[in-house]
Amino acid sequence: MKEKIAKLIEQAKLAIEQSHTLAVINNVKVKFLGKSGELTQLLRGMKDVPQEERPMVGKYVNEARDIITKLTDEKTEQLTQAEIDEKMLKESVDITLDGKKQERGSLHPCSLVTNEIVDIFTSLGFTIAQGPEVELDKFCFQMLNIPPDHPARDMQDTFYISDEVLLRTHTSSVQARTMLKTKPPIRIVCPGKVYRPDDDATHSPMFQQIEGLVVDENVTLCDLKGLLETFAQRLFDASTKVRFRPSFFPFTEPSVEVDVSCSVCHGKGCRICKGTGWIEILGAGVVNPKVLDNCGIDSKKYKGLAFGMGIERIAMIKYGIPDMRILFENDVRFLKSFK
Amino acid sequence: MKVSLSWLKDFVDIDVTVEALAEKLVSAGFEVEEIIAASKTMKNVVLGKIVKLDKHPDADKLQICQIDVGKGEPVQIVTGAQNVSEGDLVPVALDNSLLPTGQVIKKGKLRGVVSNGMLCSGEELKLTEEDYEGAGVYGIMLMNKEKYPIGTDLNDIFSSDDAILDVSVTANRSDCNSVLGLAREVATVLKKPLKMPKISFKTNKNTNVNDIVKVSVKDKELCPRYMAAAVTDVKIEPSSDYIQKRLKSVGLKPINNIVDITNFIRVEIGQPMHAFDRENLAGGAIVPRRAKKGEKIVALDEKEYELDETMLVICDGEKPCAVAGIMGGVDSGINENTKTIVFESAKFLRDNIRRTSRKLNLRSDSSFRYERGIDFESQKLGLLRALSLIDQFGYGKIADGIIDELAGDVSTKTVITSVEEINSILGIEVPKEVVLDILNGLQIESKLEKGVLKCVCPAFRDDIENANDLAEEVIRLYGYDKIVGTLLRGGNQTLGGKNREQQNIDIIKEVCVSQGMSETLTYSFTTPKCFDTLMIAKDDLRRDTVKLLKPLGEDLSVMRTTLAYSMIAALASNNLKSNKKARLFEIANIYLPKNSNATDLPDEVNTLAMGCYGADEDFFTIKGSVEVLLAKFGINAEYKRANINYLHKGRSAEIYAGKERLGYLGEVHPQVANAFDVSDRLYIAEIDVDKLNKAADFSYAFAAISSYPPIERDIAIVVDESVLAGDILACVRKGGGNLLVDTKIFDIYRNESVIGKDKKSVAINLVFRLADRTLTDDEVNAKINRILNKLSGEFGAQQR
Repeated sequence: MKEKIAKLIEQAKLAIEQSHTLAVINNVKVKFLGKSGELTQLLRGMKDVPQEERPMVGKYVNEARDIITKLTDEKTEQLTQAEIDEKMLKESVDITLDGKKQERGSLHPCSLVTNEIVDIFTSLGFTIAQGPEVELDKFCFQMLNIPPDHPARDMQDTFYISDEVLLRTHTSSVQARTMLKTKPPIRIVCPGKVYRPDDDATHSPMFQQIEGLVVDENVTLCDLKGLLETFAQRLFDASTKVRFRPSFFPFTEPSVEVDVSCSVCHGKGCRICKGTGWIEILGAGVVNPKVLDNCGIDSKKYKGLAFGMGIERIAMIKYGIPDMRILFENDVRFLKSFK
Repeated sequence: MKVSLSWLKDFVDIDVTVEALAEKLVSAGFEVEEIIAASKTMKNVVLGKIVKLDKHPDADKLQICQIDVGKGEPVQIVTGAQNVSEGDLVPVALDNSLLPTGQVIKKGKLRGVVSNGMLCSGEELKLTEEDYEGAGVYGIMLMNKEKYPIGTDLNDIFSSDDAILDVSVTANRSDCNSVLGLAREVATVLKKPLKMPKISFKTNKNTNVNDIVKVSVKDKELCPRYMAAAVTDVKIEPSSDYIQKRLKSVGLKPINNIVDITNFIRVEIGQPMHAFDRENLAGGAIVPRRAKKGEKIVALDEKEYELDETMLVICDGEKPCAVAGIMGGVDSGINENTKTIVFESAKFLRDNIRRTSRKLNLRSDSSFRYERGIDFESQKLGLLRALSLIDQFGYGKIADGIIDELAGDVSTKTVITSVEEINSILGIEVPKEVVLDILNGLQIESKLEKGVLKCVCPAFRDDIENANDLAEEVIRLYGYDKIVGTLLRGGNQTLGGKNREQQNIDIIKEVCVSQGMSETLTYSFTTPKCFDTLMIAKDDLRRDTVKLLKPLGEDLSVMRTTLAYSMIAALASNNLKSNKKARLFEIANIYLPKNSNATDLPDEVNTLAMGCYGADEDFFTIKGSVEVLLAKFGINAEYKRANINYLHKGRSAEIYAGKERLGYLGEVHPQVANAFDVSDRLYIAEIDVDKLNKAADFSYAFAAISSYPPIERDIAIVVDESVLAGDILACVRKGGGNLLVDTKIFDIYRNESVIGKDKKSVAINLVFRLADRTLTDDEVNAKINRILNKLSGEFGAQQR
């Protein structure tokens, strides 16, 4: 009997080993372990076994059942896994093909620059102020210390709508409007469209500016430089240097042109900075006390700092765009390069 | 302002290179745009005299010249030119010489005869007839009138060893629109004394200016100072080389000795002057007065100008002889027969000159100078300097006496402040002595007494009004590199950031970008013809625009009242560039006039435009993008069929949030697309951002999620073709009540033989669910019956 059981186990092992599909292994399982399987048949032969040997034989049979069950289960598991693997292999795709997606569009390079600049200044406690583009002469010029027929009017040719109404030539008009309705401390940036009758590779009759204004007690030209250094280092890179050169704007005194060290060549001189190592990006200055007084702010108590820059110019520098007119062509191939 | 180095050297001993000087001027606030002709343009080219001329033995067209070049022995040169004779003065390029053209001349042989250089034509010296009389002739440039000694380097004659600085003068420094003014700055930056121009002349005691001319200023406001002097026995002739050279160096053309002097003074002193021929001054009178309305004058440019009472004219006893400060009359000017002249040196009101000049569209070097402002002292200095030049060059006899009609306040201005105040503007400690040194060096007489800084400003610095102006003077000469950066050290903390509307703009842009759109940038001004192109009705309010008085062109002459035109144009330009598809958007203002007069500011309405074209685009793709945007803003919009002239009648919709019309979307009318040369279908949308902001609802509220299973059913109904899906769904929702949690149309089927003519079958998916229990079939069936009844009642719908 014992030999019979051992032989049966050997037979089962061989059958399991030779099973290569789930169907076959199921049959093997039924053949050896099923209700009318070989092992059951063996148990039926127990009646022929002497009484005293029966517990032993029972034990052998149970052991055999355990061994065969374990082997068939293992094989079943193995074959199941293989079958899934094969199915997946058949379903394999070319993973280098493009994904299915709604392509992202893009922001205009001028918006990218504006966003960057606005983010820098809002993190420094600035809010955003806006005002009309079709503006009164009063806010665009007169309150900013540029009376009618003043020679400083020649600095900016102007599109007029009527004697008193014009297209703003700078966003400084928003500064005047803000000062009239806000008490210091004031920290604002004013992004927006401005207009001047120029049209060539570096000028457009419509362009965008962003101007900033600080009105507070105890602020100085040094604070202006510090502020613009922080700004330039965030906009370009941490090693950017800032240089002041004397200049003139009617609404600031002292007035400066602000150069930053060239972010392309780091001061060595290149095409972008025309070999000077410096790029002019800003006009700035201490607000002329006459302007503060015009706008209802006590110039004895408060001082103002102001700065302004052209968005297109900075976009051209940052992205190496050679001609301003490209910014207004709206060719999707150009626009999409700013994803 | 162009100024020559040699002219500046009349007033300051300049001992640095022109480049070093330019750098110093830049750091003091005077941008030097260009340094012209900084180096000699020719070498070894001298003035020579032909002493002997022989025929070349072997060539008919060549001549052998013996030329005296001031070195004792004559130099032999062979020339092919035929216009030379013995005794002529000529430009001689010697052996090893360099011409302005870059050509190098070496000695050689011509047909066997030694030639030690070359005789030059005007062209070879880069001179024109304008530069030098005779330079334009074909052949050698003859210099027979030249008074320079034989052998003189031609650089000295044509002053090309001089450097011209083109200085950009800022609007606050009108005083520096003169050689003297710039010399003052040069003296300051070089720390050298300023030598004032030479004033010295004799007068003829037998004649007095008052016997020659009478000045009576009728408008003292527009003419606060009028000075005049007279010169008799004038002989009109070319002015001296000295004056001519100076004028040419700054790009002015010499005319005659008297006119040249007036120009010379304007450049050197900064005072425009005018010279009248006494013969042409009726009654010997000079009367500065306001013009009469309609009064006319023919100016030197031979054009007639009609004047009005805002303008100042200089009249004689009868008629206007000059538009004050701008241009003389054609009849009163100097001519070759002029014998007695009257010099005018006046101050006219700055702003009035600017106004008049613009009104008449008449400009001159004089008006340019007056528009920038002239102080009260230049009139006298200018006049005396002009008389000194008359005397120096013997151009006439100066009548005794000077007329001076002065009405303005000429007292000096004093600014009182403190060194501390100046330093509080700058943020650094500039030592007291340095402040005083700098200011006094600028001729601003400054004294410090008991902490009070008292600064008396000279007449030419009327731009200085307060401590900030003084701070600027100090720092531009102390050096801006001394300013160290401090990040708002003394400032109060403020809260920065964007407000709701500004954040919303960012959200709109992000949604548009996520929908595959690229942002465009188009001009705010457009062509008034755009309304015709868009087929907008003649009486449509959008045709009422803000108009520019002087646009760059008709295409850019009105402020846009819709973004549709520029969006279609942007789509079209991409289409024409063979870009197969494009999705674009722009956020910009439109400008809607409040009323027809241009004195009120228009409403500026922030507007979003979207646009697209391409094989995958249709009405529903742009609608999808609009829906995503509105969903983000929490707006449940309704779409109504639109009637917009530039859109496709059957494929356009107006977008409503409740009763508020937010905008529209749709396919561009084929005729409009055609007008842009586009045959593809274009789609656009335009949404009022301000209204979008108002309708926005960003609040989120928690709603319990049902854990009970839904029951889904599909129904199909047949309706007339004209019934809108939106109306069907609205009806379905009404019938379904709160049990119906979702419904959508998933198929529309048309087949005339099966369903009927002008009919469509609409398949609708319905999802029923309750939050607190499982629904029964009976409940759902009841709802479906109710829905079908409603559909039948409202649209005559039949279930399929």
